[in-house]
Amino acid sequence: MEIPPLLIQFGGSIIAILAIYLLARAMGLGTTPKLTDEAAVQHAANEVKDGFSPVRIAIARGGAAALARDVDGQIMVIKRHGNQFVGRVLTRSAKVCEVVDAIEIDPRETQFGTVRLSIVDPGYWADAINRL
Amino acid sequence: MPDFSPTQYAVPFFVIAVLIEMVWSRLRAPDAYEPMDTLVSLCLGLGSTAAGALFGGFALYVFIAAYEYRLFDFGAEWWSVWWAWPLCFVLDDLKYYWVHRAGHRIRWMWAAHVNHHSSQHYNLSTALRQTWTGSFTFGILFALPLILLGFHPAMIAIAGGFNLIYQFWIHTEAIDRMPRWFEAVMNTPSHHRVHHATNPRYLDRNYAGVFIIWDKMFGTFEAERTDEPIRYGIIKQLGSFNLIWSVFHEWIGMVGDIVQSPWRHKLSYLLREPGWSHDGSRETSDTIRARWIARRSSTNPVADRNPIAADHEAA
Repeated sequence: MEIPPLLIQFGGSIIAILAIYLLARAMGLGTTPKLTDEAAVQHAANEVKDGFSPVRIAIARGGAAALARDVDGQIMVIKRHGNQFVGRVLTRSAKVCEVVDAIEIDPRETQFGTVRLSIVDPGYWADAINRL
Repeated sequence: MPDFSPTQYAVPFFVIAVLIEMVWSRLRAPDAYEPMDTLVSLCLGLGSTAAGALFGGFALYVFIAAYEYRLFDFGAEWWSVWWAWPLCFVLDDLKYYWVHRAGHRIRWMWAAHVNHHSSQHYNLSTALRQTWTGSFTFGILFALPLILLGFHPAMIAIAGGFNLIYQFWIHTEAIDRMPRWFEAVMNTPSHHRVHHATNPRYLDRNYAGVFIIWDKMFGTFEAERTDEPIRYGIIKQLGSFNLIWSVFHEWIGMVGDIVQSPWRHKLSYLLREPGWSHDGSRETSDTIRARWIARRSSTNPVADRNPIAADHEAA
């Protein structure tokens, strides 16, 4: 059976793409950033929404995620995504549940996923999110 | 008639350049690359080629039909008219400016173009994040004036191919600034970094393909500032490396808005700018910029009025 040249070209391209991906991993490209302090969370929050100015912050153990609340009561969840941070200002549709030593927040947005945060005062944040 | 696709010949160069930039990243800027992001970008590039082969036939049919109604005729051997080539390249770049501007200001067009911007990184692999769904927009209409002027569709396709190749190298942080004369006329890494930025100051700026003069002519030019670090991506970052989601998320959102909105607003969700909503609950690039300007002038009124005062606030 003869394989169409275009199919061979397509297959070859996929192999080349996977090779570049594996090479990027092998080279150690992309770091693992952490939210180490309130300034880092403020910076990330302002990148998610320009002008968002947190008055209360909770950083998850390990620094992979955080919660920030502004003076208007808006709550933002921030999570690590690759070697960047992304976030969402939570709406009423957001779901939160307390687990053993953390809370899990689902902003109810396609493909954003659930964010698990092991934080000092999970009850405060769970209540605040439920009151949105 | 020449049967020539410049982009096909450029692919090996693209791969080698990405590899060289990866080495630069390893040595100088490890955060410039993220392997999963690169994987998605390259898959978007490959898928774009396949989508073009599958769905590009309609555009070709329209172009060939329109060519019959051309105003000027370069003759049967149109490819031998040497001066038509640079003229076509410049006019095609002007066309690119407007189709690109529409790609950012009309949600229907943005739905197809957004995946080029949805990476939070800016490297040569980002250049290959091309659309899969461009054939489902009205972008082809922007080329019709060129065809009606008498430029053959193949000549426009070749000029467009070289335009795309030019735009590859400007997707990098490895090059700071080019010589002043070059920055004044040509699109450069610096100018195009601005275009990929989400900082309010930079939103919807620098649409140029090859010649930055179009932005200067039509009032959309913004120079990159050394005191304002750029953040890349889109206003609502995806937060996902799902390839299919990155291709279709804006289409899904737009169709959902059209279905759910009152009748009199449905067309606006198709044709108005991204972020527009009939109840004003969302933000467009214009409202984000206006809020930033208002905040800036309320927190720093003196500096704003004082031309010698430096402004170091990141947008």
